[in-house]
Amino acid sequence: METTEYDVLIVGSGASGGMAAYTLTKRGLKCLLLDAGPSVDFAKTRVLKPVYELPYRGFGKPGRLAHVLQANEFNANQWVDETQVPYTHDPKTPYNWVRVRMIGGKSLFWARMSFRLSDYEFKAKDHDGFGENWPINHADLAPFYDRVEPIFRVSGRKEGLPQLPDGNFIPDESPDSEATKRFAAAAKKKDIPVTKIRRALGKGPFASSYNLLLPDALATGNLTIVPNAIAREISVDKNTGRVTGVHFVERGSRREMHAKAKAVVVGASCLESTRLLLNSKIANSSGVLGHYLCDQFYMSNSVVAIIPEARDGKGTRGMVGGGGYIPRFRNLKKGEKNNFLRGYALDFSTGGSPDAKYFGSWGEQLQKDLDSTRGAAFGCTSMGEALPRFENKVTIDKKVVDAWGIPVLNIDCRYTDNEFNMAKDAVDTIAEVCHDAGFEVLNKNPKFYNPGYSIHEVGTCRMGDDPKKSVLNKWNQSHDIKNLFVVDGSSFVTAGSQNPTMTILSLSMRASEYLADEAKKGNV
Amino acid sequence: MKRRKFVQSLVAVTPAVAVAQQVAPPSTPPPATPQQPVEPPIGAAGRGGRGAGAGMEDTTKLEITSADAVGQMTPHFFNSDQYSALEKLSQILLPPLKGAPGALDAQAPQFLDFLLGESPADRQQLYRQGLDALNAQARKKFQQAFAKLADDQAAQLLEPLRQPWTYDPPADPLTKFLRAAKQDVRTATVNSREFNVAGAAAGGGGRRFGGTGLYWNSLDS
Repeated sequence: METTEYDVLIVGSGASGGMAAYTLTKRGLKCLLLDAGPSVDFAKTRVLKPVYELPYRGFGKPGRLAHVLQANEFNANQWVDETQVPYTHDPKTPYNWVRVRMIGGKSLFWARMSFRLSDYEFKAKDHDGFGENWPINHADLAPFYDRVEPIFRVSGRKEGLPQLPDGNFIPDESPDSEATKRFAAAAKKKDIPVTKIRRALGKGPFASSYNLLLPDALATGNLTIVPNAIAREISVDKNTGRVTGVHFVERGSRREMHAKAKAVVVGASCLESTRLLLNSKIANSSGVLGHYLCDQFYMSNSVVAIIPEARDGKGTRGMVGGGGYIPRFRNLKKGEKNNFLRGYALDFSTGGSPDAKYFGSWGEQLQKDLDSTRGAAFGCTSMGEALPRFENKVTIDKKVVDAWGIPVLNIDCRYTDNEFNMAKDAVDTIAEVCHDAGFEVLNKNPKFYNPGYSIHEVGTCRMGDDPKKSVLNKWNQSHDIKNLFVVDGSSFVTAGSQNPTMTILSLSMRASEYLADEAKKGNV
Repeated sequence: MKRRKFVQSLVAVTPAVAVAQQVAPPSTPPPATPQQPVEPPIGAAGRGGRGAGAGMEDTTKLEITSADAVGQMTPHFFNSDQYSALEKLSQILLPPLKGAPGALDAQAPQFLDFLLGESPADRQQLYRQGLDALNAQARKKFQQAFAKLADDQAAQLLEPLRQPWTYDPPADPLTKFLRAAKQDVRTATVNSREFNVAGAAAGGGGRRFGGTGLYWNSLDS
């Protein structure tokens, strides 16, 4: 029997766990990385198929993955099966919990939108009085963003916007199309900034821990990766109160195992990390573990419009094409009056084709409508900050266990008027900009998806200076247990309107360097 | 035997599609089920090796015929009145256009009978009640079943589709059904073998069809 005691045991191999492995192994620490899923041989696991060979012609098996609206019949097996790892919620308040279990985690599939948070997020309470500030600010995290962005090869255009700090970019000097320029000019008249989408170019097919972090960590000789190891509980020494390792179940054989380590870093994704801590009954002297679940509400096709000069196949390269990003522009000025706190961001594209459902026609006329608008559409997706509220929470549902006998989460989360009012403002404002730019608005959608849909859930192990109000300190370290760290999005204090991955990576790098330094000093 | 001839022409086109998409060489048959591993080619030419698959290529390929050439489909989810109405509705929503197969060529109603049979109860009710409502309105207005109406008569009953589309489902069940059917018939058609093969044979040419994707085998296999 293997009885090695590792310096650090890391749970989860996605953005946060992968970055912890990358950082800690480079500092010479011996790390064991457990992931609940397999290490996928992509060439073998994914096969090209025409849609008509699928049993449901691309519709997917009805009722399967009912909460994963991102799933389709091609990729259904890529997501965690909710009959295998269920969760519960009140039928009146559905939550879309979207999960991936394989080496690389969700970093294999993210949309690669790469933004920094600003001090409008880190010091949100100072700005509007709601909730709590983060225990760090942008200056604290900037040196880590600076190092993470080149690893993920983030492209972008520097703008000097206080609400969207510039990064260490590969400059995006691609020209904007006429349609994009016209939209940006109309937006500018309303004091709405438009910039390039900031995106991780990655390497080859992925911008993932799988190809950008774990190979380097393995090359140090300090990393051991064990796939199919489902963490059940973190073990604790009753005398010292310190964590000693992790009990895990082997996915296929269902053997119950235990691995030992001097410290544990949890990066299993926001809600899985929280579930693991709750099931381990640790790190919750504050009573806020599992609370303050928040994310961004998400509306795809918030506004769909037609760019008239591109109708009937007349759109050329240069006339339409490309898109951009509208960072948060609401509630930045002191005393600005809106019927909601915080703000929203949007990304948009030009040169797409509108869906058939937007036309009140069928048969031959519908075909004419589709032919006439092909490549002539403007579309945008809006994402608004959901406020962190104590009552939005996860708890252990003691009545239900997953396929490995591990108690599951109950999720109790709902949006409020703040989010509804924000969504309406987003749609009305962007529709006005479209109109001002000379686009014909085809449809407005003020209805967002259920909480969870954006896959940006954060907040349930939040950090803070006050151990009574937070689970982690400013180093992502448990207030209660010095050798326990949580490095994923669960540590966020607010969701912001920006996609969270760059911040997760930077926090994990920062926490891991702190852990390595403290370990060297004998402080953990 | 029009149908059988059509099926044969599809088979003739399929390998060309496969090569264009850079999938497995035409000699490799597609996996019968997602879980079944694809046998890798043995030699450079993919045949004649002496490994695990040796000898398989000597097996005679039997001539086979499609079910459509020998039998008639009976709907098992919809009753015959509902199914006839669904066929008529499908034909109106997506007739053959610009040489592309329409919903009936793509057997969209047959597929929807299967899909709805496996769907959640609220979806099943939406379809059954929607088709019943179409028949009831047809009888009231034109004294015959929806399937027997002239196309312009049937189109009158589809007027609710002209209302601007909203994300909130319409309160009227018939309008809600018509919207669902418009979308489902379209997807079932453009994702059909018939539509895809015809589209590929026509060189794509701006026509939209379901195409090819990366299918994920089970991670547990």
